[in-house]
Amino acid sequence: MTNKQTILVIEDEKIIGSYIETILISNEYKVLRAMNGMTGLSLCTSHHPEIVLLDLGLPDMDGMEVLQHIREFSNLPIIVISARSQEREKVEALDGGADDYITKPFGAEELLARIRTALRHRLHAGQGQKHELVYSKDELVIDFERRLVTLQGKAIHLTQIEYKLVSLLARNAGKVLTYDYILKEIWGPYADMDNQILRVNMANIRRKLETNPAEPHYIFTEIGVGYRMLE
Amino acid sequence: MQKKEAMSRKALLMNIVITIGIFVIATMLAIAFFHYSRNSTSVAIIYILAVMLVARYTNGYVPGVVASFLGVICVNYVFTYPFMRLNFSIDGYPITFVAMTLISGLTSMLTTQSKKQNQILNEQEKFLMEAEKETMRANLLRAVSHDLRTPLTGIIGMADAYLADSGRLTEEEKSYMVKGISEDANWLLNMVENLLSVTRIRVGETRVNTSLESLEEVVSEAVQRLRKRLPQARVQVQVPEEFLMVPMDAMLIEQVIINLLENGVYHSGAEKIDLYVVKKDKEAVFRIRDYGKGITPERLEAIFDGGGTEENPSGDSHRGMGIGLSICKTIVNAHEGTIWANNWEQGAEFVFTLPLREDTGDDK
Repeated sequence: MTNKQTILVIEDEKIIGSYIETILISNEYKVLRAMNGMTGLSLCTSHHPEIVLLDLGLPDMDGMEVLQHIREFSNLPIIVISARSQEREKVEALDGGADDYITKPFGAEELLARIRTALRHRLHAGQGQKHELVYSKDELVIDFERRLVTLQGKAIHLTQIEYKLVSLLARNAGKVLTYDYILKEIWGPYADMDNQILRVNMANIRRKLETNPAEPHYIFTEIGVGYRMLE
Repeated sequence: MQKKEAMSRKALLMNIVITIGIFVIATMLAIAFFHYSRNSTSVAIIYILAVMLVARYTNGYVPGVVASFLGVICVNYVFTYPFMRLNFSIDGYPITFVAMTLISGLTSMLTTQSKKQNQILNEQEKFLMEAEKETMRANLLRAVSHDLRTPLTGIIGMADAYLADSGRLTEEEKSYMVKGISEDANWLLNMVENLLSVTRIRVGETRVNTSLESLEEVVSEAVQRLRKRLPQARVQVQVPEEFLMVPMDAMLIEQVIINLLENGVYHSGAEKIDLYVVKKDKEAVFRIRDYGKGITPERLEAIFDGGGTEENPSGDSHRGMGIGLSICKTIVNAHEGTIWANNWEQGAEFVFTLPLREDTGDDK
């Protein structure tokens, strides 16, 4: 019983809070609930949860503020809950240190998948070791050591930049990466460019990896936010 | 009130400044002219011109009338013998002065009047546009309340039945009811998202904020979201081989695609639906084809005008896509594109176009 993972849910709406709690408890997580930012912060310092679900619209303080405060003392995974149609808010939260976001309304499966992904990535980062050596999903295999990408057993030729992009996404599979983050990782922190070059490269990758670029199977677009690779 | 007073004081000051400015220039011109020709008639004409200009660039009758008197006095005082003195009794001159006063007074009045008329016309036009918008809003509201009430009735009814159950409902019946609630709630969510997209347009007043978006990414996200909502739908998608960037508000265009696909799935009765996007000249053309009965000619005409109350053939009244389609039209028009519906060999077809612009500068 003691090895149950604790999840702190900071959400002011009762019904959504209980809904999340029900899902999490029935999936063997321990749940702490906070109805506002202050309680959330104090629960976070006193109980050291494994992961935080943070609603951005809180009654007492801005969700972004809560995010910043937590980041001052902890590196624990934070998943932001936000309403659709506010891409800017999502991007700000992700670039401000959130690990992922989930859009209201969401289903149980989606929520659990996000939590598993966040926990898994944090585990790897915590051990300070290299990620897996191979990404393998359905027909696609990426061998990070040999820098080799194969689809249905056939080697796919990717340019230098394309390979960097695909491997970055694959190493963070399941997690959304923002345009800014990807640009900085691939082209360096001082690269002065808009995300058009990124989108052109992604279009080329899509034509090499996907059967139908309009129905991607491996790399998904989150318009206005970034990209997410199939986990 | 205070604001209005301040405004009028400012306007008065502006009028005085303009009048004096034009008169100084006219006098300088007149002096130069007079110096060469000694002809006071041409001088009078210069002043008449000045009066017209004053009437044109000031507000109200007063400046023009004042200017005409000022002009007459100037001509008499400066440019007719005896110089630098007022004298209206010289032979023939009284008539000249009276004529000049009349001409300048009349022109000033005419100019002011035509200005006023223009203003009235502008106001009327604005009023008409407002009225049209008001009608649109009212129609939308009516359609919305109809489309919202139906699923809400279902949700409330089923929830009540579930709660009032005294153990007679079977598990199967219960799960059927909850499934119904979930379906209707999803329908409501779609409706709310549609309404939200309308507010996005209203803020910007008929035009939308566009940025260059990758066409295939928008299409794929739209299809993905539709699949989540209607897992049974079999959507076939095709985008151009060429990578296209299209200026648009991605969220709104996504909404259009989803509405049209969903509309096709519900109305055709068939779950198969196609979405083709092609580049044609300077436009991206989106075609959504279903495999149903098609649309009757009577319905084709007003299909985008928000006829949400019309019963559709399948008898499934709350699936009337009235609002959805009229919102599609609003969105596409705001992008300066076109949208229309027609029938093809195997069913109905909805087509919309978006202009591809050359400029690439407005990317974030």
